[in-house]
Amino acid sequence: MAFYKDKYDVIVIGGALAGMSCALKLASEGKDVLILERHNLPGGVATSFVRGGVEIEATLHEMMSIGPVDDPLPMRKYLDEMKVAIEWLRVPEAYDLVSPEDGIDIELHAGRRDDGTWIAADEIEEQYPGSRDDVNALFELCRKVYESVNYLNDHTLSKFQMLKDHEELVKTAGYTAKEVMDKMFPKLLLNVKRILSAYWIYVGQPIDSLPFTIYAFLMGDYMMGGSYVARGFSHEMAVAMAERCEAMGVQYEYGQNVEKILVKNGKVYGVRTAHGEEIHCDYIASGPYPNVVYGRMIEPQSEVPEEARRYANAMPMSVSCFSVVMLLDSRPEDLNIHSYSVFSAETSMDTEKFWKQGSRLGNWDYLTTICLNYANPKGVPDGMTSLSITELPLPECFDGVTADNYFETKRRIAGQMIDQVSRRLGVNLRDHIVEIEVETPVTISHYVGSYRGGVYGYQHNMQNSIVARLADIERTTYIKGLVSCGSHQLAGDGMAVNINNGRIAAMQILAEMKKEA
Amino acid sequence: MKVNGFFKDVTGASRVTKARHQLIESGNPENIYKDHIREVAQEVHPKVTHVKCAKVEDVSPTARKFTFVPTDGDVLPPFMAGQYASVELEIPGEDGKVTKTTRPFSISSAPFQARQGDKSFFELTIRNGKPGVGFVSSWMYANCKEGSTFTFHLPLGQFYYEPLRDAKKVVALAGGSGITPFYSMAQEIAHGTMDCDLTILYGSVSTKDIILEKQLSAIQSPRVRFVNVISGEPDYPGEKGFLNADLIRKYSEGDPADGNTTYFVCGPLPMYNFVNGELEKLNVPKRRIRMEVFGAPRDITKDPDYPKRDPAVYKLKVMRGLEETEIEASSLEPLAVAMERAGIPNPTRCRSGACGFCRCKLLKGDVFVPSVGDGRRYADKKFGYYHACSTYPLSDCAIKIEIC
Repeated sequence: MAFYKDKYDVIVIGGALAGMSCALKLASEGKDVLILERHNLPGGVATSFVRGGVEIEATLHEMMSIGPVDDPLPMRKYLDEMKVAIEWLRVPEAYDLVSPEDGIDIELHAGRRDDGTWIAADEIEEQYPGSRDDVNALFELCRKVYESVNYLNDHTLSKFQMLKDHEELVKTAGYTAKEVMDKMFPKLLLNVKRILSAYWIYVGQPIDSLPFTIYAFLMGDYMMGGSYVARGFSHEMAVAMAERCEAMGVQYEYGQNVEKILVKNGKVYGVRTAHGEEIHCDYIASGPYPNVVYGRMIEPQSEVPEEARRYANAMPMSVSCFSVVMLLDSRPEDLNIHSYSVFSAETSMDTEKFWKQGSRLGNWDYLTTICLNYANPKGVPDGMTSLSITELPLPECFDGVTADNYFETKRRIAGQMIDQVSRRLGVNLRDHIVEIEVETPVTISHYVGSYRGGVYGYQHNMQNSIVARLADIERTTYIKGLVSCGSHQLAGDGMAVNINNGRIAAMQILAEMKKEA
Repeated sequence: MKVNGFFKDVTGASRVTKARHQLIESGNPENIYKDHIREVAQEVHPKVTHVKCAKVEDVSPTARKFTFVPTDGDVLPPFMAGQYASVELEIPGEDGKVTKTTRPFSISSAPFQARQGDKSFFELTIRNGKPGVGFVSSWMYANCKEGSTFTFHLPLGQFYYEPLRDAKKVVALAGGSGITPFYSMAQEIAHGTMDCDLTILYGSVSTKDIILEKQLSAIQSPRVRFVNVISGEPDYPGEKGFLNADLIRKYSEGDPADGNTTYFVCGPLPMYNFVNGELEKLNVPKRRIRMEVFGAPRDITKDPDYPKRDPAVYKLKVMRGLEETEIEASSLEPLAVAMERAGIPNPTRCRSGACGFCRCKLLKGDVFVPSVGDGRRYADKKFGYYHACSTYPLSDCAIKIEIC
């Protein structure tokens, strides 16, 4: 007997969140799906590891779009609909922003009241009197755009309805987050704008060039529904989805590295794995970036259209990840750590400047510190702290890194980041480390295989706006039967977004199948 | 999804769509694919490394050092002193059946020696005490000769000095072949490429048991100190007895409770139990103790949590993709070993339940996992995933493993 069937309807390359979501959706429509995952775990970067008997979260982990059980947001609904069972824990606060040079030290909470006012607007008002109305109005605008984007994810609309019901989205689609804040809310204090820019790092794009649509989606979601983590770390989310895939009849194989995508007459017909297995199919949902697909996977290379190469080469890479993940020997309060997520600016808040710093190695001024204890207290042993410090740098920051200087380099940068946070806390974290791992673009590349260690796909600037990507989805499908399924697809920043990417990839394939039939 | 046409008509949306089209049209039409980060990742974490044995040398009456050099154009990856290498082996049995297995061995050579151009090599020092004990070590003794070729996985493991975490003063507590990672560290320190002070306390029953003595004694570095501790020779002129609290205190930097010394422990299981108790007596902070993993228990039925069962041979169904194979599995051996005996390749690495490379899914049946070897994640426990190297069958079972 063979390991595989003669042919599948769809082969999904990469069993991370997007791939599994795509497979779930396809299987729910009765399609025969094979997932080939190169690693021995599901989930891609949504994973965890165990050191010294303690499980440690590997990801900068804040699941958006979940929302409370009684007021669920789209991702909770989708996972429920797919019967993916995950134990969600609510993160207590939205975020802290600390920027000493600007005199900013604030903690915001998610939540919108029935009268349409927002808890965070009151919190900002307390420190910056007179801002409440504008902040409420900005959040309301974000919420409306958020709801429009969600609605449009699933519905077809006439032009008239679009203008009538989704005016805010239409009106702001051509502007950056900065332009909307400056033009529509000219009275907002500079510090308030800085506070409201803190989440920029979750999309890896500075406010100056970030399309407002993305900004609004992020703010609308997080500020309305709060964020969540899985009791069993990101790995629980991954395994719960993998389990569900298999229960739905999806064949999920680990340790299978797809080397080639086989194409004939402009249409895919299968893949070849590193083990030399050739497996046939009608459609492929590709986790690998277009750069990799067109650069070295398509066989024969003569099947790659010139437009496809132009597309892949033109797409600006978004960020990778540099994370110091630690288990510390004291309770968070004894280390002066009081919140789940803290954004800290070493110099005055300037997201453009911080983003540009991402192309150099180290001396990064904007760090994200996550203390898992506050969201998942049972996930950390008593008397200990699970802490990560993250920067999302651009892949080119590793241009000068070689196999020989790699370990020394990552230690040096990690040391810098630990010292930066130690100074802020007034506690030398180096005196408390029980376990430490440093995740770099190389780590991402090793485990996930993503192009240049990317975690967020392509940049979300005005030249590459989500609105345009959505409009272009068919135009940028260059080989018949081959669909992008991952962070490089539509929006790439984060886990919920990738689950949605997978769902959309599945819908694209289903639509194509219908056309063929 | 079908709003495409609309977006094109709205000023803002059409502006961004046009901008994107211009961006794409400006793209280079040639294949310029290159991924520097992937190249580094592949050199640092090669999937496999092909080597051949270049030299075999006895380093004690009971231990042999094997030197390996890369072949097939492979390059040895950089590693950290203390890490291990896992070798893939196919060992024919008397019945003609081939056992496909792996074994982890700490690398006894220094990291710098693996990264010196065409002079690159690494070494394993393998002990083979009593005949019949040590299936793989006996085989290596008999069959690993100059010119023998192997496939390795390296580097692996977390048993290494981490300057961000560990104290500058390190005391190594070694027993038996547990000396090998410390020989690696000692050479690296002497070479000036590892920045800490190392005192090795090496416990042996008799002076005959000391492995790598000549090599360790030859290391000339003010930062490395090598002390033999002999328990079974009353006339031994040096340190006598066991690696107990008094001895550990004597060689530590100040009070061990103050956390100025990090202790690295590597040796056989009984030594761990003893040394752990001694470190506890000294109130050494937990973060100052680093333990190497120590393999599967010799007798699983002695585990205090093991349910009362008579030894049995069960049926084990192994799913690989759509292929199903039924084999026999002894209740006394981990599932991984049952598969190895049946010649089913199975990606074990640490063989201690820790690393998770042999993660598999239990489809049916009851199993036992010793708590000391349970390195599984919360969700894996919740959803029934196991590490085959540390999972023992308690009934007929079915599992799904990776095709490799």
